[in-house]
Amino acid sequence: MKRPALAVFAAAAALTLAAGAGMRRSAPPDFPRLAELQTGPFAFQDLVIAATGFRASAADLAWVQLLQYGAGLEPAGYEDDKSKPYTYMKEMCLRVTRLDPSFHRAYLYGAGFLGWFRGVERPDEAAALLAEGQRRSPEDPQFSLYLAALAYKKAGDVDKMIAVLETAFDRPDTPTLMKTVLANIRQSRGENAAALDLWLRILANERDAGEHARARLKIQELRVLPPGPKRR
Amino acid sequence: MRTIQAVFAYTVKEHLRHKAWLSAALFGFVLLAGGLVVSAIAQDERARFMLDLGLSANEIIALVSMIFLTVHLILQEVESRAVYLILSHPVRRSDYLLGRFLGTLLSVGGAMALMGLAHWLVLQLFGGVPLGKYLTAWACSFGKTAVMGALSLLLSLALTSEAAAMAFAVFFWILGHFSAEMRFLAERSGNAAIKTAITAFSHAAPDFAHFNFRDHWHGTQPGEAWILWAGVYVVGYCAACLALSVQVFEQKEF
Repeated sequence: MKRPALAVFAAAAALTLAAGAGMRRSAPPDFPRLAELQTGPFAFQDLVIAATGFRASAADLAWVQLLQYGAGLEPAGYEDDKSKPYTYMKEMCLRVTRLDPSFHRAYLYGAGFLGWFRGVERPDEAAALLAEGQRRSPEDPQFSLYLAALAYKKAGDVDKMIAVLETAFDRPDTPTLMKTVLANIRQSRGENAAALDLWLRILANERDAGEHARARLKIQELRVLPPGPKRR
Repeated sequence: MRTIQAVFAYTVKEHLRHKAWLSAALFGFVLLAGGLVVSAIAQDERARFMLDLGLSANEIIALVSMIFLTVHLILQEVESRAVYLILSHPVRRSDYLLGRFLGTLLSVGGAMALMGLAHWLVLQLFGGVPLGKYLTAWACSFGKTAVMGALSLLLSLALTSEAAAMAFAVFFWILGHFSAEMRFLAERSGNAAIKTAITAFSHAAPDFAHFNFRDHWHGTQPGEAWILWAGVYVVGYCAACLALSVQVFEQKEF
């Protein structure tokens, strides 16, 4: 052959096409398409980072912005409606999970906030978030567990709701927010000994370091209160 | 083979002299600064943030180094006329290109390995990660860098302008992450001509959308078959680009 480079090119191109097909067959794409990314003030930022191949990092950044939003820092374009606190909580959570659906903690954090946070309580939005998480990762039992807890809450069966939530307390992907919510529910029912136990478990967990300062204060407060009725 | 080795050795020395390893130092700074920020804001996802930040920073620094080095690799020697001196010896043009490419790949790969080691050690502070999984993610980034290196080399020879070659290399990098979207568009298109054109284009651009092992780290990971196919893909794509580069380089009159 007069042009061996072209022969090598043809063979290598055929090999690449076959390998590309093999790669796609053995690992079909399971990420939401770029068109499914959440619209809103962060759409451009998300699209640019995801399109340059850094989807996981884009999701991490979105997670930090979600935490900031949860802490009361409203980004431009997502100013809350005064009659509806944390108006965009669901959108902010979906933003993280559409970038990286394996970010289960974002679903759970959002559901915890919308379902149980005092003054927010929008269980339907929480259920919608959990349902999307369950659809994308049916193997994770946390979603059905939280959906069951929400159903008990709506039915007014607080005992069962607490029991269900406590089964998830020590799971590594349970958001700290949800643990503090549960401890506060216990305390509001006068079950101070049970609440103290939960705060001690939060303090003992390195992953909950963000709430350790608050846990110390709560432990001090609960130690001087009467223990209340035994755990049900 | 001997000539390839000789060109390879002098390329590595040249990159070391030009302090290509500084990318590793830059990475260390990014990691340290990122770590400080992360510890304050990411709360219970610190380890995840650190992992993703390190893998992404390693890849982006390697990518920028690779594009910059390969685009300059031949054009600079042509401009300075050093290439005349080399090709006046019994060195085949294909050997020269291959040696230059492999030398650059090793230099960038070495810097990536240093960055990876530093990152892996930092991750130990956050509970550590499985080494096998980390190596797979690192290898995928290296594979993408190799593909981009070969493509940048081809673009620099075909376009003969450093700025244009760099711009097209970045364009192909982004396009590579749209390959799944392009195929989706092709599937949805009712027009056969458009469908064929988009499909052909999606196959010509590097398929990076299926290459981001680090994006799958926290979810379902691809199996061994995928790793094998990905390895073959990198070798095939690099070989195709290098073969075309040789063809273009052979046409040039020195």
